[in-house]
Amino acid sequence: MDGFSYSNIFETKGIEYLVIIAFLVLLIPFWIVLNKQSRMTKQIQSALGVLSAKILRIPQGLFYFRNHTWMYMEKTGVAKIGLDDLLIHLTGKVKFSTIKSSGEMISKGDLLAVIAQNGKLLRIFSPVSGTITDTNSMLNESNGELMEDPYGKGWIYKIKPSNWIAETKSCYFAEEATDWSAKELERFKDFLARTMRNYTPETAMIIMQDGGEICDHSLSALPDEIWNDFQREFLNPDQLQMPAK
Amino acid sequence: MNTNYQIALDHDGKSIWKFLLSELKPKGKFFTPFNIISIPVMILGLALIVYRFIYGIGSITNLTQDTPWGLWIGFDVVTGVAFAGGAYVLTFMVYILNMQKYHSIVRVTVLNGFLAYVFYAGALLLDLGRPWHVVNPIIGNSFGVSSVLFLVAWHFLLYMIAQLIEFSPAIAEWLGARRAHKILSGMTIAAVIFGITLSTLHQSGLGALYLMAKDKIHPLWYSEFIPVMFFVSSIFAGLSMVIFEGSISHKVFFSQISEKHHKEQNYIIRGLSKICAGTMFAYFFLKLLVFIHEQHWDLLNTPMGYWYLLEMFGFVLLPMMLFFYSYRTNNISMVKIAAILTMLGVILNRLNVTVIGFRWDMAIRYIPSWMEFIVTLAVIFTEIWIFRWVINRMPVLRDSPSWVNEPK
Repeated sequence: MDGFSYSNIFETKGIEYLVIIAFLVLLIPFWIVLNKQSRMTKQIQSALGVLSAKILRIPQGLFYFRNHTWMYMEKTGVAKIGLDDLLIHLTGKVKFSTIKSSGEMISKGDLLAVIAQNGKLLRIFSPVSGTITDTNSMLNESNGELMEDPYGKGWIYKIKPSNWIAETKSCYFAEEATDWSAKELERFKDFLARTMRNYTPETAMIIMQDGGEICDHSLSALPDEIWNDFQREFLNPDQLQMPAK
Repeated sequence: MNTNYQIALDHDGKSIWKFLLSELKPKGKFFTPFNIISIPVMILGLALIVYRFIYGIGSITNLTQDTPWGLWIGFDVVTGVAFAGGAYVLTFMVYILNMQKYHSIVRVTVLNGFLAYVFYAGALLLDLGRPWHVVNPIIGNSFGVSSVLFLVAWHFLLYMIAQLIEFSPAIAEWLGARRAHKILSGMTIAAVIFGITLSTLHQSGLGALYLMAKDKIHPLWYSEFIPVMFFVSSIFAGLSMVIFEGSISHKVFFSQISEKHHKEQNYIIRGLSKICAGTMFAYFFLKLLVFIHEQHWDLLNTPMGYWYLLEMFGFVLLPMMLFFYSYRTNNISMVKIAAILTMLGVILNRLNVTVIGFRWDMAIRYIPSWMEFIVTLAVIFTEIWIFRWVINRMPVLRDSPSWVNEPK
């Protein structure tokens, strides 16, 4: 037979076994590394965090208004006003500017403060009428308190309310407030889905598909127009008039 | 484009013919760049095929008695079937392993596989001296049981039938034939299992065709394990073709694909790249083992040896690492580059075994004539035309009509 050759297959058996063992040994790190969650995505996730209703702080003893402000009546009869945790989580780090000063009289629905981030603004309207007794000067210097402790050191005004019993009728309190916050988060996700379609495509990074959790500080990456829409739907004075559900 | 029309609810005879006639009309623009290039090629290819059947195969090819199998078999049949392997891998993943995330691309891949087998088995006819004898293995006028071709012939026939059954629910949806759809959908899983079983053997069977040519194929590519190599490489060849063709279809037929499937696209491609990376890792080591086993290390320092190293490192190891890297970094464009490199590697490997490494030592090497290239291109273009015709009419990329999910 032409081209017949004999080769000793046992000569190479040793090396072949070693290659097989090397393959199996290499397969383990190959598979592990292939499936490891990459450092970059881990960092992003931990940095941004996932915003879900469970992580919101909602002290049960406060009055929560529909424009995401809270009121706490102290023993002296003076009420502290502040911004709620959901709003802070949505916006991220903001610069706070007070509009009114001590001694001024305000009515419910008056412009109280402006929070700003890179030129984008949100206006905070007063949930109650009364006389301003104090403004939190600490906030004008650093906003760390607003972010970390929105219900304590992060208070924005002290007001002596003139009509608080009537004006707090449409407030949320205790467990209602917790439920309402969760619903507001869902409403915000819907709002994002709606407005995103009208604006830019690159914001898709923020939302995970199919109604999953959104990232923390979602608004911080979104443009001006969306901040205006957010203002209109979540923070405007007509929110204060709507009856509590 | 295509509105969701409700055609003959159940054939009442008259309207189905009108419907079919209307479907024959072309949809979309006629003078697209693809059409302008492909129509002359197809017409010329048809002319060449007619010439070939009148004047014999030697009149348009460079095939000789020493190299009777050339580009048509090496590329159209052997490589084409390797690329059609995406169908059996994907149906295995979706129906057997229940990886439902790939469900949306099953139909188009099965369609691709079916068309590939039809056209490439058809291209096989071009190589036969007596094409009418192609039915012999089936009808028994000399079965030819001692040849691997007996297995290949039967498998091709059965596999085409299985693919057709798998795809037929889409045809039933197009025709509005609800009862037929119900019956055919019930047969899907059986056709899938049958198809996968067939595929494993005929993918390797095409490699087995070359086992007899021990002296004619360069030692670096010849081994007793060619069938196993062909089978394993058909897995990632098919998946790379799915990635490649899926990316193109996604752009071309953009308007048909639903919003949900658009978003899934990258997710699917990324998943496929992981499978390719794993398979190519195993394949590389298999090749290494075979290389050591055959004991032809001294041949590495020859021109053919360098060519072998190029194929191994440049077109197997490199795309494997690209798939690996792009899976980890979520880089979709790199997946597509890796898929193209992989496909080139598979083409290279198959051509090395069948054409380039085949009789590499002859004084006058076989080089395909330009006419062989034209015919090959014509076959591929015709397949793409039919593919486009089906996609534009049947619910392959677009969603099924609403009556499909009604309770029966």
